Amino acid sequence: MTRSVVAVTGATGYLGSLFMSAFVDADYDVVALTRREPSATPHVSWRAYELGATPPRDTFEGVDVLVHAAWDLGNSDAQESWARNVGGSRRLLDAAREAGVARVVFVSSMSAYFGTRQTYGISKLAVERTVLDGHGVVVRPGLVYGDNAGGMAGTLTKIASLPVWPKFGRSALFLAHSDDVATGMVSLVENYDDFAGRVVGFAHAERVDLTTILASFAPHGKRHPTVPVPASLVMSALRLVEATGASLPFRSDSLLGLVRATDVLPGQDLLANANIRFRPLAP
Amino acid sequence: MDVVIVGSGPSAAAVCLAFKDRRDVTLTVLDLGAELESERVASRATLASQEPGSFDAAALAHLSTPPRPETPGALPRKQIYGSNFPFDDLGQLRGVRANNDANDLVVSGAYGGFSNTWGAQVMPYSTGTFRTWPLTRDDLEPHYRAILAHIPYSGESDDLEETFPLLGTPDHLPKVSERTQRVLDRYTAHRIDVRRHGVVAGHARLALRGSKCRLCGLCMTGCPYELIYSASQTFDELRREGRITYHAGVRVHRVENTGGGTRVLATSVNGGGTQEFKADKVFLCAGAIGTTRIVAGSLGLHDTTITLEESAQFVMPFVSLRPVKHLTQDGEFTLNQFNLFVSFDDDGKDASLVHCYPYNNIMKESLPSIAAHRALAPFTERGLRHLTVGLGYLPSWASPKPEIRLGGVPRDGELPDITVSTRENPRTAQMLSLVTQRLRRAGRALDLFPIPTQTTLSGAAKSYHFGGSFPHAADSPTERSSDLLGRVDGLPNVHLVDASVFPTVPATTFTLTIMANAHRIATRVADGVGL
Repeated sequence: MTRSVVAVTGATGYLGSLFMSAFVDADYDVVALTRREPSATPHVSWRAYELGATPPRDTFEGVDVLVHAAWDLGNSDAQESWARNVGGSRRLLDAAREAGVARVVFVSSMSAYFGTRQTYGISKLAVERTVLDGHGVVVRPGLVYGDNAGGMAGTLTKIASLPVWPKFGRSALFLAHSDDVATGMVSLVENYDDFAGRVVGFAHAERVDLTTILASFAPHGKRHPTVPVPASLVMSALRLVEATGASLPFRSDSLLGLVRATDVLPGQDLLANANIRFRPLAP
Repeated sequence: MDVVIVGSGPSAAAVCLAFKDRRDVTLTVLDLGAELESERVASRATLASQEPGSFDAAALAHLSTPPRPETPGALPRKQIYGSNFPFDDLGQLRGVRANNDANDLVVSGAYGGFSNTWGAQVMPYSTGTFRTWPLTRDDLEPHYRAILAHIPYSGESDDLEETFPLLGTPDHLPKVSERTQRVLDRYTAHRIDVRRHGVVAGHARLALRGSKCRLCGLCMTGCPYELIYSASQTFDELRREGRITYHAGVRVHRVENTGGGTRVLATSVNGGGTQEFKADKVFLCAGAIGTTRIVAGSLGLHDTTITLEESAQFVMPFVSLRPVKHLTQDGEFTLNQFNLFVSFDDDGKDASLVHCYPYNNIMKESLPSIAAHRALAPFTERGLRHLTVGLGYLPSWASPKPEIRLGGVPRDGELPDITVSTRENPRTAQMLSLVTQRLRRAGRALDLFPIPTQTTLSGAAKSYHFGGSFPHAADSPTERSSDLLGRVDGLPNVHLVDASVFPTVPATTFTLTIMANAHRIATRVADGVGL
């Protein structure tokens, strides 16, 4: 039987590599669309692609599915970042459509909700509209945790090892285990028609407060004392440092995502119908 | 198949385009057909043969006298080439009355209809708009593309594409004004700050031959080179090709079902008895209110009220802290140059669109005469260098509702009398206030602040973005709704194809969707789909 071919952008990133492995395990051939060639893996081939650039003509040759997970968070210049991420994503999506790729999944973010104030969320939201109008699917993963978690979960794991934890008001997040996100993506692609043109939140339906998250991420699951921290003060301090051009492990924009997180998880009916489930956070 | 088309505005042009290559179809167009006066045509030809710097002064004065507003500060009625011909009454306005400040000039008798004097904006509707329609944007997309491929089309790739895709390859816009460039540059530099307030800025998209523009500054009073699209251009082309039979001076008042086809009854505007035309299919393209009167008369509707949907218009002046260097329309194009899209949801349904215009002489003419006094003129000029005029729209669900009260049974050969009035909508003030608030918050980033208390809402039916008298409905048509082919109950071979069939009228640009929907219906009729 011919194996379906899924192209994954950002395939060497945290989420992208999870998707790549899950698709290979599910008998897909994967085309990694990345700047650098990934390490050799059976059923994985490589085509050079850099977000922001116009995709080479043969990028989507033989490709059935595009999972667009690439995003560049490293550029501090807002105009360049927009051009690279939003403009680049639009070019990629146009190229996929012109090449006749029938199934397109965009990996967005829980920060991308209408009314968001996060730069990251606003940028992702700008791409979402293009995806949805082209009958693609938008996946908004919650805070993805699991082995070797990156991004926000990685940062929170580090904070969890501190003797005292910060407490930012009533901040609470949706969470998703990395294994569920990966297998969920495969299931979604396999039930694509049910999801076309829709936004789905990849997370367990219950929001979890920050202290409980930190306790779960702490080495022995032990709660540490918490100190209320005025988010606005920390935000201002982070912005001041960012204004000097310094690169921080935790950006003011990420803090905004933590303290002003969405309380809406879209598309849960669709996920239930496709039997895509997310485990609750283990205590 | 014999097809009769009533009217020559954009929807009529779209119907003709859909049938153009169907050689088994005869096309007869019945039109009132008022045209620009011959002496003005001559003056236009004179200017068209010259370059802007060396225009003949008499011809220029003849064509470009700015219209005067009825009251100072109000929006004057737009003239074209110094003429009011799109508003002339060839009998189509007889029996039309308006209450209070409602508009009574609601049906054009012009060859090309109101597209002789429109703002030339062409964007598709957002996908969100179709949430309450029995159609989707996908249904219209091929027709948007077909229309945009036919008409002149200029625009740029920018953030508005997220909600309003280009759907084709537009020509570039002409060089924009200093103010426009500054606002768009500031938007690019402060995009996230502006978008946090739900505001997106982008270039205008216009039915204009942008690359041919000579920057003579006369867009608002009539392009001497005829680079702005009017539906009359399509009809000129079709007549030259001999593809249509065009009857001017004909006022249609009734359509009747004859079993296998339809009889169209009309009178000559120059007097004479009733004329009769027979057709297999009739397309009513007389503009939303013109079509409504024909249908109401044909169905025997009288002494009743029909509620319309209108996207209400407001005038919003903006002030910028930094003035522009020069205050002139010379060397500029003066149509809308940039848009501010203010949205309250993520798919562009609940939204307002503000078209922003650079300086043009009409702005100065609209000021109270004291502002032109020699002693005050320098201050007036200084003030104008900070000014941008926005023409904004609210969606119909947040706008006052125009109502058409139908009179008694019309006399033979006449259309039903109507009175246009308006019903308040409590959401109007609320939404206008929210739009103003968002634009004010985005003002610092753009250096473009709405002037407090100076936003004014236009009267009923003055936006010319109205329709919805016989809205498309998914189920069987009734006397007050149409099926997806624009047919009302009792007139199976008559297709309403103008905005009379729009279920709602969003705040975004209007005419392109009218044309696309008319093209969709005509294409389906030509293909025999859904009949």
